[in-house]
Amino acid sequence: MLNFLDIYERALQGPIMTEQDFDLKVFMPALKQVTKQYGIQYDKENPVPSNDADADNLFRAAVDFLSRCGIYCQNTNRVMQFTQAEILQAVNEATGRCFAGEGDDARVFGMRKPDDPKVPWLHVGSGIVCTTEEMFTNLVEGYGSIAEASSISICALDTLRGIPVMAGSPAEIYAAIRGIKIGREALRRAGRPGLPIMNLISTSASAVTTIAASAAQFGLRPTDGWLVGAISEMKIDFGAMNKIAYLLNWGANVGAETSPILGGYAGGPASTAVVSTAYILMGLLVHKGKYQLTFPIHFRYGCSSPRDVLWVVAASCQAASRNIPMPVIWLGYMAAGPCTKMYFYEAAAYLLTATTSGAPSVQTPHPAKAVKIDGITPMEARFGVAMGTAAAKLNRQQANELVRQLLAKYESQIETAPTGSRYQECFNATTGKPGDEYVRLYDEVTNELAQMGLEIGD
Amino acid sequence: MDKQQILEKLAQAIVDTDPELARATAKEAIASGVSPLEAVEQGLSKGMGTIGDLFGRGEVFLPELLLSANAFNEAMQVLKPELEARKQQIAQTATVVLGTVQGDLHSIGKNIVATLLETSGFRVVDLGVDRSPLDFVQEAGKANADVIALSCLMTTTMPSQKAVIDVLKEMKLRDKYLVVVGGAPTSQKWADEIGADGYGQSAVDAVALVKRLVNKKK
Amino acid sequence: MLTFLDVMERATAGPISTEEDFNLKVLVPNVRKIVKQFDIRYDAANPVTTDDALARRLFDAAVEFIAQTGLYCTGTNRIIRVERDEILRAAQEISGGGTFGEGKDRRTFQPRRPDDATPPWCHVGTGIVASSEEIAMAQVEGYGSIRQASSVSIPAFGRVRGMPVLGGSPLEIYASAASVQAARKALWKAGRPGLPILNLISSATTATAMIAATHPAFGLRASDGWLIDFIAEMKVNYETLNRLAFILITGGNVGSTCLPILGGYGGGAPGTALIMTAYHLLGMLLFQGSYQLTGPVHFKHSCSTTRDGLWIFSVVGRATSLRTRYPAIALGYGAAGPCTKMYFYEAAAVNLCAVSSGFAGVQTVHPAKAIITDGVTPLEAEFNVAMAYAATKVQATRANELVNQLLAKYETEIERAPEGKRYQECFDVATRKPSEEYVRLYEQVKEELRGMRLEIGD
Repeated sequence: MLNFLDIYERALQGPIMTEQDFDLKVFMPALKQVTKQYGIQYDKENPVPSNDADADNLFRAAVDFLSRCGIYCQNTNRVMQFTQAEILQAVNEATGRCFAGEGDDARVFGMRKPDDPKVPWLHVGSGIVCTTEEMFTNLVEGYGSIAEASSISICALDTLRGIPVMAGSPAEIYAAIRGIKIGREALRRAGRPGLPIMNLISTSASAVTTIAASAAQFGLRPTDGWLVGAISEMKIDFGAMNKIAYLLNWGANVGAETSPILGGYAGGPASTAVVSTAYILMGLLVHKGKYQLTFPIHFRYGCSSPRDVLWVVAASCQAASRNIPMPVIWLGYMAAGPCTKMYFYEAAAYLLTATTSGAPSVQTPHPAKAVKIDGITPMEARFGVAMGTAAAKLNRQQANELVRQLLAKYESQIETAPTGSRYQECFNATTGKPGDEYVRLYDEVTNELAQMGLEIGD
Repeated sequence: MDKQQILEKLAQAIVDTDPELARATAKEAIASGVSPLEAVEQGLSKGMGTIGDLFGRGEVFLPELLLSANAFNEAMQVLKPELEARKQQIAQTATVVLGTVQGDLHSIGKNIVATLLETSGFRVVDLGVDRSPLDFVQEAGKANADVIALSCLMTTTMPSQKAVIDVLKEMKLRDKYLVVVGGAPTSQKWADEIGADGYGQSAVDAVALVKRLVNKKK
Repeated sequence: MLTFLDVMERATAGPISTEEDFNLKVLVPNVRKIVKQFDIRYDAANPVTTDDALARRLFDAAVEFIAQTGLYCTGTNRIIRVERDEILRAAQEISGGGTFGEGKDRRTFQPRRPDDATPPWCHVGTGIVASSEEIAMAQVEGYGSIRQASSVSIPAFGRVRGMPVLGGSPLEIYASAASVQAARKALWKAGRPGLPILNLISSATTATAMIAATHPAFGLRASDGWLIDFIAEMKVNYETLNRLAFILITGGNVGSTCLPILGGYGGGAPGTALIMTAYHLLGMLLFQGSYQLTGPVHFKHSCSTTRDGLWIFSVVGRATSLRTRYPAIALGYGAAGPCTKMYFYEAAAVNLCAVSSGFAGVQTVHPAKAIITDGVTPLEAEFNVAMAYAATKVQATRANELVNQLLAKYETEIERAPEGKRYQECFDVATRKPSEEYVRLYEQVKEELRGMRLEIGD
């Protein structure tokens, strides 16, 4: 397998071109050709397809596409190129296992197949910005209190002693370190000191912050997980590569983070599915990821709940889980916010889609496109866990039917989705408990889902 | 005051780093019918030449150089509209695209070279610091440059100078530009090794080098 | 004392200005005005000054200069303002330098005074790039073998697996971690595992690489020293502040540093001395340093051994050691390289000048302007240590005579100084011993210096 220095060498030696030329003359034509050649087609009627042959065909298309397109390095302006043999070698040598957590919470994050009854790795929480340290603590303690949680994401802080946390500034370093300390402390309070934090470093955009906050004295361990981004589409920069170099040098878990955008450079659902699958290969080959977090979203709506995005998730998740041993966390962005019925419908649809398609892991679907400050509560996390567990009891055909019913409830509302409540509006900030209204709404929705035939627990 | 005296006074204003005097004398030049082009070329530029020489000999330092350039620009604010009105143009010898190479944030040396080149009549496009090889190549294309000048101050960023020349070769553009290098760790030997057209040991050398190379090419 | 967040607050709230305006309208006029106002005059005939009144004026001038100028932050385009009282209070409160090293090599860095007979802190070695790990280790092992060495500087790595180490690239992280690991191993081989490394991290030009290689997995300890630099002149950027934030939070020793440019924005010798004194005070106050590392570099000759460069060393050493207890290491750049007589003359001049003027520490004078790969050997380090000890037996008045004699030997040669030899050309890489030729030259120079009545040891 190519090691990371080999990857770096390709970033120095590949063909040189402007980023625009890469987009227009390499990425787009290669994607168009491959999508056509392999006959990848979107099936509007079936947001959750269930044809294994189609999934395997999509995998082969993704391998072919990655070998034709390569990955663009923004700093050297060169394209890192890989042969199909090199890509397949990385696939063959992958273990499909990530060791995460300590003590009682030390586990192996492994693979699932489509229609697999095994409950996925339940990754809870989000890196959504929150305004106060108290709320941060409450949220993380809330996530940690969910017994089924396998790992968590912690929040981001937006100011530090009133100083705005600007990317690349020293304030960002302080905020990231503070975030980790609060996160660990809250997990201790929840009685889960060993629970792995897998969205490190959530406050940070810059490599210097990620690396600074990872110093052992601030509480992180190699068995936590660090997210290192790719740039949409099929690009990377030295910032990300520096994080990888650092983490690999002391054996910490690298998590490749990718976000294919439907309706952007990747085009429609069929070609976006190719890109979405190719990203899992990139995570393995370029990032040297021990795990991956991916969230396909819609260019126009900024969320993952539209019908075509669900299809992309289903198709690429099936292609990857059948063929690429990479534990992937599938994350969805929802249009509606906390304390709205629509959020729950969207989240249910997303989790049914991903889980039955073989997602090794699902994360709490992010409310209100993850852009609303303080816009998340432990209630959504609880729902995600219950729904992920319920979905594992179903197969793709059953999920397809339910997703269609759910789409009927929210599909037309996506553009005008309610952004919902902020944490302090639907939770008691002191006790960390949900308000009565939210509890009522939650029960109502879970009853409704139970009537649709979903065995959703409490 | 005759023309010769006015021109000398202009030059002296630059050497004395006196922006008010430079501006006033420029006005005086116009009022007494001295051609603005002559005022620039025989007055201001001459003064800058003197300062450049003094700087090269270590008799004045960076502050004087900057303040002279400032006085030069003050006088130009008076002379430029006059030049335009008469459709006169300062003879621009060539266009130089310069910057500090990728990975290197040092700017002082590069700034000195830029100032000296500008006041010697070159058109200078300063790309700033930490610029990638492709940036240099593209900006040189946009500016229709004659010369690409690469600065670096660290031994660890010297390879970035080579990278620019490599990219030019790769894109079959090497013959289009003169490439010169400079900065504390560089040398003539290094310039030869990476296939640069020249090396400037100091800022003053750099200007002389660029002049020499441009004239030779013409 | 100011905290780091106070500094950040000023960097985000201070007066806004373009960098050019700061240079031309604040920095340059203030230097000229204050040099005149405090009557700071260069005395070419006396490169080692004994004028205490001048030294005291220089200190007061620097306080005034800082109060009127501030420090420009290029990250925010704002000026960090500092009050006179804050500087004076810090100068009064500081009791000495940090504690460095482990085990038997653990020591506190104490200040000295002019004409002080106490031996200075001998900081040996340089960060000059080494072409291979083998040569780097040979150099560091040699430094560690010098009994009087108080701390070391370790070489930078220029290549990893044949690829040039570009600043800001992932390779820099590999190189930085590798350089630290190699140096620790070499010091361990020299029997000095506790000897502190004070030039962290020579292979790291960016904050990202510096912070990454500081991870304890690679062998660094808080009792080593990290260089945090001002940008010439009177500026800081986010790179600097990010490093500072990290080292202060992790409790490491900060070495505040800047090599002011003689002939740069400070103009001639008086202005450069003013700026160098200002850096000393800012390092103590804003960087909360454990030591200062400083020396002028001539804009044209790129070395510190010119007559005016030496005068700056002496007047700044005197001013800062008389008025603060913040210890500084004098760092000189020689024009000539290893295995040349001229290098030894230059190094002797710097040591005589710095030690008699009250510098608390002296570092091995860097041969050949520090730009030749492999261009340093342990023999230069040994010479500097011997010279520093010899200089403690000489008063400044006498040092002045000696420095004038030395200048007569090399002053006219500076422009065409010989580059000298690389390590492998005058040392045996396998046995780590100097060549016969070099030993002969070394003995010859020592004899010559003894002839000048310098008590230089073996």
